[in-house]
Amino acid sequence: MISFHQVNKHYGSFHVLKNIDLHINQGEVVVVIGPSGSGKSTMVRCINRLETITSGELVVDNVKVNDKGTDINKLRRDIGMVFQHFNLYPHKNVLQNITLAPIKVLGIPEKEAIETAMYYLEKVGIPEKAEKYPLQLSGGQQQRVAIARGLAMRPKIMLFDEPTSALDPETIGEVLDVMKRLAQEGMTMVVVTHEMGFAREVADRIVFMDQGQILEESTPDQFFANPREERARLFLSRILNH
Amino acid sequence: MIDMSILFDHWDMFLQGFGNTLKASLLALIGSFLLGTLMAVFRIAPVRPLNWLGTAYVEFIRNIPLILVVFVFFVGLPAIGIRLESFVAGTLGLTVYTAAFIAETIRAGILAVSKGQTEAARSSGLTYVQTMRYVVLPQAIKIVIPPMGNQFINLVKNSSVLGVIAGLDLMYFGDLISADTFVTFDVYIFVAVFYLILTLPLSLLVGYLERRLARAR
Repeated sequence: MISFHQVNKHYGSFHVLKNIDLHINQGEVVVVIGPSGSGKSTMVRCINRLETITSGELVVDNVKVNDKGTDINKLRRDIGMVFQHFNLYPHKNVLQNITLAPIKVLGIPEKEAIETAMYYLEKVGIPEKAEKYPLQLSGGQQQRVAIARGLAMRPKIMLFDEPTSALDPETIGEVLDVMKRLAQEGMTMVVVTHEMGFAREVADRIVFMDQGQILEESTPDQFFANPREERARLFLSRILNH
Repeated sequence: MIDMSILFDHWDMFLQGFGNTLKASLLALIGSFLLGTLMAVFRIAPVRPLNWLGTAYVEFIRNIPLILVVFVFFVGLPAIGIRLESFVAGTLGLTVYTAAFIAETIRAGILAVSKGQTEAARSSGLTYVQTMRYVVLPQAIKIVIPPMGNQFINLVKNSSVLGVIAGLDLMYFGDLISADTFVTFDVYIFVAVFYLILTLPLSLLVGYLERRLARAR
């Protein structure tokens, strides 16, 4: 579904991604962890070309993401994305946030788009907030709306870029629950997160990154019980022991 | 005491000047808004040559005095055989000049909308133009209204430049009446009042819009 082949990315002289090789199958949940600045977010943002790559090849849903002839808007329809800071549209209410892309990109009639939006709002547990504006919601509620907004396009892949990092601890659970259910339903997911409990429970595979490289790729059981790399061991001991 | 008879005796001239100032301001307001928006989009669009064009326009026009921009239309164009009435030349100069400031105001508003908004919109498959139209510009407008109001108030006042080239505006007739009657102070007081009749409501309108848009969030 997603495959990185020797992908490199430079920001000027800064080598952000180094020889990334990663293959993600349909229905797989891959959790990317690692210290800040290790390139996790950058790697995920390459998948829908929010970041371009410098060299290598990246194929998503059989489309070469960085090819000149690629219709990126078409590819993006099939890739939902959830951001750390939600990025809901503050001038639109919840329903308008969710229906904008289905109406304008897919050309779905408004009535149908609203029905779909309500279906996903039910699913994330806040149908009663349909008429509210983003600023009237808590962080956790905003992030659930953002997830519903992504799902309303019926994507093949969902990307999560630190979806709970900006949330207060009490609302993290409600967002993780929604993501857990999504994973169980077979959605292909790539999740950048610092939530180790979620990673351990939900991931099919853990990808550990440091300094722009993938240092380790293994199952959660293996990774958390016995990480191969020294750097991964150090990282885990730091974030699990407090 | 201000001599009110000046106002009544020359009522028709004041009125004609007022009408022309209003007309020049309205035309220049619409023109500079359209041209300024276009230049702002040029500066921001992901197309290099357009960026250059927009930047050149803004930097060139806003860094020379208004009166010289007006002279380009008033004496420059006739020199190459294009003759314009002074009212037209003045209004065109005013439009071109103000557009540079409008462009910068709008550009600042667009850039003030967080990058995450564009990323969210683009990642959902919206095109660049759709993202601008449905997500970025509606938010930029709210940011832009107070400084834009300032530009429009400046525009009305700057229209007095027409007086210099016999553009038949308020300032022109003020000078005329004053030269006719040898009354200076009283005449210009009335001229000032006529300008206030235009600018004060504009000021209030901007304040009203600002409050209304703040509520709509």
